[in-house]
Amino acid sequence: MASSPRSPQPAAPAQAELEISRQSRILAALSKKVIDLDELRMLSAQGVPDGAGVRSTVWKLLLGYLPSDRELWEQELAKKRSQYEAFKDEFLGNTVGGNSATRGSEAHSDGNAEHVENGFLDRSVIAQDEHPLSIGKTKEWDQFVENSEMIEQVDRDVKRTHPDMHFFCGDSSFAKSNQESLKNILIIFAKLNAGIRYVQGMNEILAPLFFVFRDDPDYKNANFAEADSFFCFVELLSGLRDNFCQKLDNSAVGIQGTLSKLMQLLRKYDGELQHHLEITTEVNPQFYAFRWITLLLTQEFNFADTIHIWDTLLSDPDGPQETLLRICCAMLILVRKRLLAGDFTSNLKLLQSYPPTNIGHLLYVANKLQ
Amino acid sequence: MVLVLALGDLHIPHRAPDLPAKFKSMLVPGKIQHIICTGNLCIKEIHDYLKSLCPDLHITRGEYDEDARYPETKTVTIGQFKLGLCHGHQVVPWGDLDSLAMLQRQLDVDILVTGHTHQFKAYKHEGGVVINPGSATGAYSSITYDVNPSFVLMDIDGLRVVVYVYELIDGEVKVDKIDFKKTATMHG
Repeated sequence: MASSPRSPQPAAPAQAELEISRQSRILAALSKKVIDLDELRMLSAQGVPDGAGVRSTVWKLLLGYLPSDRELWEQELAKKRSQYEAFKDEFLGNTVGGNSATRGSEAHSDGNAEHVENGFLDRSVIAQDEHPLSIGKTKEWDQFVENSEMIEQVDRDVKRTHPDMHFFCGDSSFAKSNQESLKNILIIFAKLNAGIRYVQGMNEILAPLFFVFRDDPDYKNANFAEADSFFCFVELLSGLRDNFCQKLDNSAVGIQGTLSKLMQLLRKYDGELQHHLEITTEVNPQFYAFRWITLLLTQEFNFADTIHIWDTLLSDPDGPQETLLRICCAMLILVRKRLLAGDFTSNLKLLQSYPPTNIGHLLYVANKLQ
Repeated sequence: MVLVLALGDLHIPHRAPDLPAKFKSMLVPGKIQHIICTGNLCIKEIHDYLKSLCPDLHITRGEYDEDARYPETKTVTIGQFKLGLCHGHQVVPWGDLDSLAMLQRQLDVDILVTGHTHQFKAYKHEGGVVINPGSATGAYSSITYDVNPSFVLMDIDGLRVVVYVYELIDGEVKVDKIDFKKTATMHG
């Protein structure tokens, strides 16, 4: 019971029984030959018990990474994992002019460097514009510079991800290898998705996925956390891409549209609060909910709570967006007393650093907003 | 990816009026992180021009430089590499690779950049690599009139250097490259 963050103190017997029964139900659901995804979604929406050690598998099923038929798991996983290795070879062995001609000459001059002690260095021919000062638009050189900048940004963001957690930060080789994995995933994603590339914040969305997969009690899965996280990250982001695309910001599908939807939802269930927030105190949802929505609430609660919220978010078969809005709405409603009594400054302060909350209760309220 | 421009022996205005136009059009401010100049600019205007391309400018004194305050030799550490700079008229015989190798060991650098001969050279020995970027204006030297304008751009990336050699031959800019890595044996 100590491992369950929902009930920090020794649980009342009824609570403990509830916990065990949820755990056994989810284990039962997972042990079927062909898993009933609807059943799994319903169970996950109530929260995946930490003690069961199955969260990694549940999330992979919810995100469609693992097929519902258990028999196909091994083959699917092998296929995806080797595909990821291929991506790594292709996108991470990157140097300037990384085409086979120059790679060949590099290997050649490496050989030279080893054997020839003294001598004039060989000059190798390069293609027309492939040098740093070329005025023409060298696709390769420009791309190299662009990639270098992207890689530096990824590196900076990864180092700042959850600096308070030993898993992500610090001098241990474990933290360093986890950081490497995060970087690899984000860089490969950026290279594969030229339209969206890397946007700050993607690291925060990747972090819980990677953590949960790396934390898998089955070491055979934990070792492939990087590859598994990559595909799940792609899947998760596919529903969220519009939030990261600047051009869509002001369109109905972009972030502004989503924020309006949030306000509409709030007006439906708590018109007084919506009016007070938006009109009276002029606290524009952009000031606080932008981060809630684009980063899937990873910055608002402690890590363990975020993971529980994600159990519910990922259980939505249509993608996390709808559930996310309901949870954000619930967050506002839960502090309505303080908001209604506050002005612009105090409300903004409150919402930008949301107070610790009973997550179970929050999700319960959110569930009612349907 | 750090770009280091190495050039020298311009001899402006005595032997050449200016850099070749085709070189000047490529050398734009903001692209290059460091400039190392072997010397013989010879006037302040050229110093100012180079400074406008990149604020981190290192120059050693050539025998015709009007500014007597440039040092005879200089060492600069860029990334993983130690670079040494010296005009080269002090090293006799001029352009002699063994004598230059001695200077390199004295300065204790991975790459020694020197000039004076107005001839591009890139040479490797146990003590490191010697690079002569030639004369950026193609000015005649004490040894020969047959000089093609040339300069060098080094891309330092970790333990690897890609040296781009820019030469003006028959009015056209030709660019080659040389690739080498710093190995454990390169230093002392």
